[in-house]
Amino acid sequence: MDQEESRNGDFAHYNDHHVSKKPKLTRFISEPEIRDEFSHHRSGIARINNGSFGSCPKSVLAAQQNWQLKFLQQPDDFYFNTLRKGILHSRTLIKDLVNADDVDEISLVDNATTAAAIVLQQIGRGFGEGKFNGNDTVVMLHCAFQAVKKSIQAYVTRAGGSVIEVQLPFPLISEEEIIREFKKGLEKGKENGKKVRLAIIDHITSMPCVVIPVSKLVKICREEGVEQVFVDAAHAIGSVKIDVKEIGADFYVSNLHKWFFCPPSVAFLYCRKSNVSTDMHHPVVSHEFGNGLPIESAWIGTRDYSAQLLVPSVMEFVSRFEGGIDGIMTRNHEQVLKMGRMLAESWGTNIGSPPELCAGMIMVGLPSRLRVWSEEDALRLREHLRVHFGVEVPIYYQPPKDDSKGHARDKDGVITGYARISHQVYNALEDYEKFMNAINILVDKKKNCKMLMSE
Amino acid sequence: MNGIDHNSITHFPKRPKLSRINNGSFGCCPKSIISAQKRWQLDYLSQPDEFYFNKLKTGILQSRLVIKDLVNADHVDEISIVDNATTAAAIVLQSVSWGFSQGRFEKGDACVMLHYAYGAVKKSVEAYVTRVGGFVIEVQLPFPVSSVDEVVSEFRKALARGKNSGKRVRLAVIDHVTSMPSVVIPVKELVKICREEGVDQVFVDAAHGIGCIDVDMKEIGADFYTSNLHKWFFCPPSVAFLYCRKANECNDLHHPVVSHEYGNGLAIESAWIGTRDYSAQLVVPQVLEFVNRFEGGIEGIKKRNHEDVVAMGEMLANAWGTHLGSPPEMCASMIMVGLPACLGISCESDTQKLRTRLRDKFSVEVPIYYRPPRDAEVDTITGYARISHQVYNKPDDYYKFRDAINELVNEGFTCALFS
Repeated sequence: MDQEESRNGDFAHYNDHHVSKKPKLTRFISEPEIRDEFSHHRSGIARINNGSFGSCPKSVLAAQQNWQLKFLQQPDDFYFNTLRKGILHSRTLIKDLVNADDVDEISLVDNATTAAAIVLQQIGRGFGEGKFNGNDTVVMLHCAFQAVKKSIQAYVTRAGGSVIEVQLPFPLISEEEIIREFKKGLEKGKENGKKVRLAIIDHITSMPCVVIPVSKLVKICREEGVEQVFVDAAHAIGSVKIDVKEIGADFYVSNLHKWFFCPPSVAFLYCRKSNVSTDMHHPVVSHEFGNGLPIESAWIGTRDYSAQLLVPSVMEFVSRFEGGIDGIMTRNHEQVLKMGRMLAESWGTNIGSPPELCAGMIMVGLPSRLRVWSEEDALRLREHLRVHFGVEVPIYYQPPKDDSKGHARDKDGVITGYARISHQVYNALEDYEKFMNAINILVDKKKNCKMLMSE
Repeated sequence: MNGIDHNSITHFPKRPKLSRINNGSFGCCPKSIISAQKRWQLDYLSQPDEFYFNKLKTGILQSRLVIKDLVNADHVDEISIVDNATTAAAIVLQSVSWGFSQGRFEKGDACVMLHYAYGAVKKSVEAYVTRVGGFVIEVQLPFPVSSVDEVVSEFRKALARGKNSGKRVRLAVIDHVTSMPSVVIPVKELVKICREEGVDQVFVDAAHGIGCIDVDMKEIGADFYTSNLHKWFFCPPSVAFLYCRKANECNDLHHPVVSHEYGNGLAIESAWIGTRDYSAQLVVPQVLEFVNRFEGGIEGIKKRNHEDVVAMGEMLANAWGTHLGSPPEMCASMIMVGLPACLGISCESDTQKLRTRLRDKFSVEVPIYYRPPRDAEVDTITGYARISHQVYNKPDDYYKFRDAINELVNEGFTCALFS
């Protein structure tokens, strides 16, 4: 492929030169081919944060640019004859991947943030239109993504509903701790005759990152009379196996640009057929209003829908790997565990959760001597690692509890800082060794977060 | 002196042999801007965390500053960037919805809009206003139209209807350039009337705004004003701005997709609505550079587009023996041209089928509007083509359309043949 083109972000001809044109692959994708697919990632950076913004291989970017060019060449024809079919194709593949019953249950939206707005607007209308009583509740996890918390404020609290936060302990020893706290949260939500109108459960929390036993929690919700359950699985697809029927939630969203190799941005929102699913609407209203959420979401005015058209190209990409997306998930999990243990051992720290509660990401304790004592400290350390060591990794601050029970310690004190490391197909051992060495250097030089400010 | 080769067709991606006389629907984007966009996209993809922390916000602020100057707004806080006018409408109407839900407005308070308001906006009014008890007053506009006085008089009548039934008008939604049929509305005058008649707030939907007509926020005086930049301002799909007259009024507006920036003002909220591709919003400074390569910049482009589309419209009307849908002063860079009555356009679906026929058989892309005959009208023209003119168009594009219609007429084609 032309170097100049690649440097300018023009990938349109990548597939002409690189992807095998043979109908059946006789071998799986090789290491050099993987490196080539992700060669647009900035060199010299240990990119161990796939969780935040995801990644997209060149062959999928090339397919995207072809879709974009097609629209630009003849947008009217594209709008009338190409767009809807393409989106339906993507939706159908997703339906099969997640074991939904009907493609009508699958809508494509920009991201989980948008899906949360859709679900919460519907709940908000329940309060606003008097279907729900004032003070009926919405239950969520304390570590829910900040955008979701704000969305609850914007649509539920503003309309008169109240919110219960379930505190999850961290670090975690087992899923029993999660289940116990969740049951307590539901009880609070039902106090004094209140009804829990919605429970929002993360499938994989963001910070700190933990895999939640969603099927079990959804079952508990049904037993306890929770009216609707929304699973925010931003990280799930391409990270853990998803079976929406088995999970049994009313709504389930996952981003495809995080772990499923799509470019920014596209997510699917599953809505189980029910009497409320017909009242789900995209907040950006177009002439398709009232034709069902999948149709509404497929046209929200003129914009670039190309990311939503790429699921077939992604399926092709993952099929080049042994075991397809399942194989990728398994290997990511094994590798991130291995790397997490290597780091914890080198630093004398801990892993934030047991292996069965993590997928492609894991929380690794940072040496207490670094004194990550606030969110600002965490951000500062992150920036320092990026700028001075070429390591991109998010840092989490775990505030100490009064009783210091359940806290991890290293030889110097309580561990309050954790790094969330990710593993995706483009990662290599060197990425984590770079991180390991960076932290060891900081500790050897007796640096702590406050000192990093003056550098 | 032109910095751009007049053979600017090659500067735009295009299917060969296509006469693309519908810039109004989806706009256009020159290759140099597509390249600039790809550079932004690559920058993000190569290191997204760094892009998010260090580049995105300043990039969007730069775009907002360019727009603020272009539209003569007082302060950059008044300018938010969103995907498109459809999104802007949802933002404004959602705040009206809260007015009803939170009891600031009474059930039955009204929202006024034009009968020719864009389909998406009408649905948005249904979703956000009618649903919570608001009443909708539609202003019937005549078409064809012969002067702005007809528009002004109908608008006054509609406001009077509201007053007479004791309704308080909370919001007037006024198109600056209607979509179908396309006509330039005297917004400044209508905003003035709204102020005189005690309308709470005015929202001007100028989807066809920047690069099409004169867009001056202080002149027009509306509370909210939106325009797409991908239609007539050469941006890639998609980007639009939403102006709020006083920065503090923006605090009452919220982007419906809520992120952690909620409460920090509409401009900041809109600049981060979760992970997505913001590159179309970042190329605005490069687009300004592009238009300044043309003689007279964007003003020169507008003027020439207007002159050319009027000339082409008159050419077609003369060739077919029909007429224009509005006088030249009520059009900008689009104009409605009557189609020969013998084509027998008798319903909406006829227009779709005729449009498809023109695309597939004659390689002409042009939207058709169905204008139902009124009582006692005979042999009227019931179909109008909305032709656009943008810098990549040539007279040949319109001759091709002329000849296509003439061929259909000569072979005795009528839309009855579709069924």
